[in-house]
Amino acid sequence: MAEKRLIVLGAGPGGYVAAIKAAQLGAKVTIIEDTEVGGTCLNRGCIPTKALIASAEAIDKINRAEEYGIEIKGEINCNLSKIIERKNKVVAIQVKGIRALFKSWGIELLEGRGKIKDVNNVDVALKDGSSRTSEGDNIIIATGSRPARISLFSFDGKDIITSDEALNITEIPKGVLIVGAGVIGCEFAFILKELGAEVTIVEMLSHAVATEDEEISEILERELKKRKIKLILNTKIEKIERGSDGSLTAFLSDGKQIKTEKVLVSIGRALNTENIGLEGLDIKKGKKGEIEVNSRMETNVKGIYAIGDVIGGIMLAHVASTEGIVAAENIMGHSREMDYNIVPAGIFTMPEIGSVGLREKQAKEMGLDIKIGRFQFRGLGKAHAMGEIAGMAKIIADAKTDRVLGLHIIGAHAADLVHEGAVAMRLGAKAKDIATTIHAHPTLSEAIMEASEDLHKIAIHMPKA
Amino acid sequence: MSPNDLKYHKEHTWVRIKGKKATIGITHYAQESLGDIVYLELPDMDAEVDKDTEIAEIESTKATSAIIAPVSGKIIEVNDDLSESPEIINEDPYEKGWIAVIEMSNTKEIEGLLDPKDYDKYVEEEAK
Repeated sequence: MAEKRLIVLGAGPGGYVAAIKAAQLGAKVTIIEDTEVGGTCLNRGCIPTKALIASAEAIDKINRAEEYGIEIKGEINCNLSKIIERKNKVVAIQVKGIRALFKSWGIELLEGRGKIKDVNNVDVALKDGSSRTSEGDNIIIATGSRPARISLFSFDGKDIITSDEALNITEIPKGVLIVGAGVIGCEFAFILKELGAEVTIVEMLSHAVATEDEEISEILERELKKRKIKLILNTKIEKIERGSDGSLTAFLSDGKQIKTEKVLVSIGRALNTENIGLEGLDIKKGKKGEIEVNSRMETNVKGIYAIGDVIGGIMLAHVASTEGIVAAENIMGHSREMDYNIVPAGIFTMPEIGSVGLREKQAKEMGLDIKIGRFQFRGLGKAHAMGEIAGMAKIIADAKTDRVLGLHIIGAHAADLVHEGAVAMRLGAKAKDIATTIHAHPTLSEAIMEASEDLHKIAIHMPKA
Repeated sequence: MSPNDLKYHKEHTWVRIKGKKATIGITHYAQESLGDIVYLELPDMDAEVDKDTEIAEIESTKATSAIIAPVSGKIIEVNDDLSESPEIINEDPYEKGWIAVIEMSNTKEIEGLLDPKDYDKYVEEEAK
C-alpha cells in the first residue's frame, strides 16, 4: 500500500493530536497553522488561564497566610507584568513541546493560512509571504473557534474585550463587568478579583455555570459571594454606552445601570469556518454553521473529516483530541466511532469544579429512577488540614442497578478527582464498588467514597439522618 | 435557658419583636451544634421572605445549613458585621449576633412561635 498522505488544517488540541496519531499509524502528515501550534487551548484558553489562576491562588493563600500561622510583614505587591510573563513562559514551553513532537514524528508544519482547494489539495499562504499547494489523500478540518463577538458590544480590544485580550491585560482595572457566567466568565471573575478588581457578572440564565448540576452551581454562587464577586442572574445587557469621561455604562434588562471601567464579554464561541475553502466543496453545515460529521468524524464529502470546536459539539480540548484520534484511526484503515457518553470536564474556579455524566435534573428529565449520595469536603480531615473546606461531592447512580451515572464535585482539586467517576462509568461500576474500594487517608478522594456510601445511607462520617 | 424576652422557631431561630419589626438570629443551641461558623450568606435587603422558608445560608467548619425565616415580611436591615466576622454568632448569638430585621407582614404569625420554656423543652427532646 502506498503511503497515506494526510493534511490537517489547524494545530489545536484536535488537529495536532490527529496529526501525531496518523503519523504513528504510518501516514505522511502535513499540518497547517496560521497562528501558533496548540490552538486556543494552549495559547488563548485552557493553559494560560490555568497559569493565571495559579497566580490568583497564590494571592489567595498569601491573603490568608495568618490562618496558616504565617505573619507577613510589609507590603504585598501583585506585579501584573510578571504574572503575565510567567503565563507566557508556561505557554511557550508547551508550544515548544508540540513542535518537538511534530519533528520527532516527521510531521511537516506549514505556518500560514490554509484554504481547501479541492478534496486533495490545500492552498497555503505562508507567513513569509510565499504560497504553495499541499496534496493529500485525506483532509482533517480542525480550525476551531474564537470568542463570539456580537454587534451589541463595540469591541475595542481595550475596554470592551473578550478572553483573548483579558489574558494579556497590562493594568488591573478598578472595576470589571463580565457578561456571561459560563466557564470562561467565572474563571476570569476569580482571577480578576484576586488581582484586585471589583467584579460584577451579569448572566442571562438562572444560574452560574448553568450546564453543571444545579447544586454545584449553587455552591459556586455562594463562593462567588464569599469573595464579594457580584453575580446578577436572569438579566440581559441591553446596551453599553461610553460617557464623556471615558467610563462605560451597561444598561441591564431590569432597568438598572452599572458603571464600569472594563467589560469582558464571554458569551460563547464562534466557529472558524470562513475562508478555509468550504464554499467550493458543498460541505454540509448545521444550523449554527457547524460542520456536520458522522460518528467516524467524516463530513459528507468523501475523504474530508472534521473535528473539534468547528463541528459545534462539546467544545473541550480533550474532546477535540479524542475526535482527532478517532478521525486519524479511521483514515488509517481502522474503524472507530466517537462516544460522547463519558466526558469529564473541569472548571477552574476557586474552588474547582469537576463533572462527568448525568446531572440530577437531566437524569430526572430522562425519567430515570436515581439515587443520590453527597459528602461535604468539610467532613474531611484533609480538607481542614489544607484549609480548603468548601465543597461537595455528589454521586448519582441508578436506583435499581446501582450503576454510576454521574459524579459532580466542587472543591479543591475537583477536576483531578472527577476521573474516578469517569473510570467507574466506563467499567459500568456500581456506587457500592466505589464505597467498598479502600481510599487512602487522608485524601480528598475520600469525599467520593463517602458520597457513594451516603447513597446507600451508610456513610461513616455523617451523623444519623 | 433561652432568653426570656424572645420567641423561638423550631428551626432554631429566635425573634425579638418591637411593634412590626422582628429582629432574628439563630439560637445558642444552633450555634453550638454548628460549631465554628466560618461564613454567613446574609439575606438580601428588601427581599420579601416567607415564614418557614430558607432566607440565608450558614457555614461552619462542620456543616452548611439553612436559616429559616421565623416570620414573613420584608428584610429591612441586615447585620453587615457578620459578613466580615461570622464568628460573632458563636460568641453572642442573641445580641451582637443578630442576623436581620424583618418588617412583619402578618403579626399574627407570632402566636405560632414557641415560648422560651417550650423551645428549651423541644431542644431537650431533639438532643435525645
